[in-house]
Amino acid sequence: MQPRAAGIEAINFYGGSAYLDVQTLAEYRGLDNERFANLLMHEKSVALPFEDPVSFAVNAAKPIVDALSQEERDRIEVLITCTESGIDFGKSLSTYVHDYLGLNRGCRLFEVKNACYAGTAGFQNAVNFVLSQVSPGAKGLVVTTDISRFKATEGGEALQEDWSFAEPSGGAGAMAILVSDTPHVFSVDVGANGYYGYEVMDTCRPVPDSEAGNADLSLMSYLDCCEAAYRAYADKVEDVDYAATFDYLSFHTPFGGMVKGAHRTMMRRMCKAKNPAIEADFERRVLPGLSYCQRVGNVFGGTVFLNLLGTIAHGDFSTPKRVGIFSYGSGCCSEFYSGVVTQDSQERVRAMGTGKVLDDRYELSIEQYLRLTKENEVIEFGTRNVELRLDLIPEVLDTVSGTGRLFLKRVNEFHREYEWV
Amino acid sequence: MSQEEIFKALMSVFSEIVPEVDVSAATPQDSLRDLGANSIDRADIITETMEAAGVSLPMVRFADAQSIGDIVRIIDEARS
Repeated sequence: MQPRAAGIEAINFYGGSAYLDVQTLAEYRGLDNERFANLLMHEKSVALPFEDPVSFAVNAAKPIVDALSQEERDRIEVLITCTESGIDFGKSLSTYVHDYLGLNRGCRLFEVKNACYAGTAGFQNAVNFVLSQVSPGAKGLVVTTDISRFKATEGGEALQEDWSFAEPSGGAGAMAILVSDTPHVFSVDVGANGYYGYEVMDTCRPVPDSEAGNADLSLMSYLDCCEAAYRAYADKVEDVDYAATFDYLSFHTPFGGMVKGAHRTMMRRMCKAKNPAIEADFERRVLPGLSYCQRVGNVFGGTVFLNLLGTIAHGDFSTPKRVGIFSYGSGCCSEFYSGVVTQDSQERVRAMGTGKVLDDRYELSIEQYLRLTKENEVIEFGTRNVELRLDLIPEVLDTVSGTGRLFLKRVNEFHREYEWV
Repeated sequence: MSQEEIFKALMSVFSEIVPEVDVSAATPQDSLRDLGANSIDRADIITETMEAAGVSLPMVRFADAQSIGDIVRIIDEARS
């Protein structure tokens, strides 16, 4: 019997049209700059009022779908959107995404949620659909899409007002992942999955368009899960060594400093390692994965894949390498899994030009950013009717005109209508 | 290891991780946050203090600790 293969055939990230330098934001907000530098954040993507989770998702997936033949396109039999930025309690974002991508109607459409774990939940679901061979040759399209229109909930007894890292780290982005039995980009180690979940009230979105939570508890839960999910993985897979089995490690990356702390804790606990060996290991196995994350901020469900994308684009894959992945979503659920990346994978990922697309974003001034934060109210959750203005910041419109991207044009009796620019 | 020794071990770890803060006058009533440690620093300080005290607890056990004294007590209870 042929060994079963599944994983990522193609992957593409869309990180928006505009960004803000987070150092500038930190200075404006009066955050302690010396300690702020340890958090390893540089830029964050900012969603414009005429960009929503649907337009982000379509802009991420379109280049992948456009590169397929009609016959291949018609084999996409499941489209899963993964988000914590939903726009409707019932109607799934995937229905809009399916329409604007022009996909075959013989396709399952649904949406999954579990905070930042959603991307992994959707991905594993699609992988298992492919592995099950219930429809040989079928493909799954998984799209994570999240934005943070920042407006922190006021602190309460359990909820801290110390949201100082949340605003600079909250970004916007969508990751499209085509899953099939020809995994050119990332071939999963079948069955090598360790998962760990339990109820905890760390961070959440209990009201529309906002976040709440306890940053310390979330970090602590992340660290506990990092160890527990890895131990669950090691229970299933023979002869695993945290230091030697994985050539690279991709972590869910709310911000770089958190990943650095988690890696340090894991190396101490799993390998009894000490500095400077830990620091050298971080630079070799972890740092390549932070490259794009540091420019975009936390994109929630897709962040762990943005880290993987950075690893594939910037690592050394002259021979096939194994990447270990740690995914965490507040609330909470976590998973450690792994797969293999080759030179061909790297060439395919680099051809998508993620760095160039990020370079082409418009840099917002702090004044423009604050104006946008106010303007976001026009498209808050539950908006029934609105016409969006694309020329809010004319310079941004200049940079996106002719790119063929999709933007939100109007909401008409709750139905969202988009246009290509 | 007495509670006082755990406290001393914790403050020594604090000075390694946040060297720019003078903690010579710190007491168990102070909080790590008020002394200038951010959330990443706080997790590191707790991890290393647990190691020094030879205990291993889930980090979320420390979520409700308001002061350094609370952290010391949780580690001390795990030892006995």
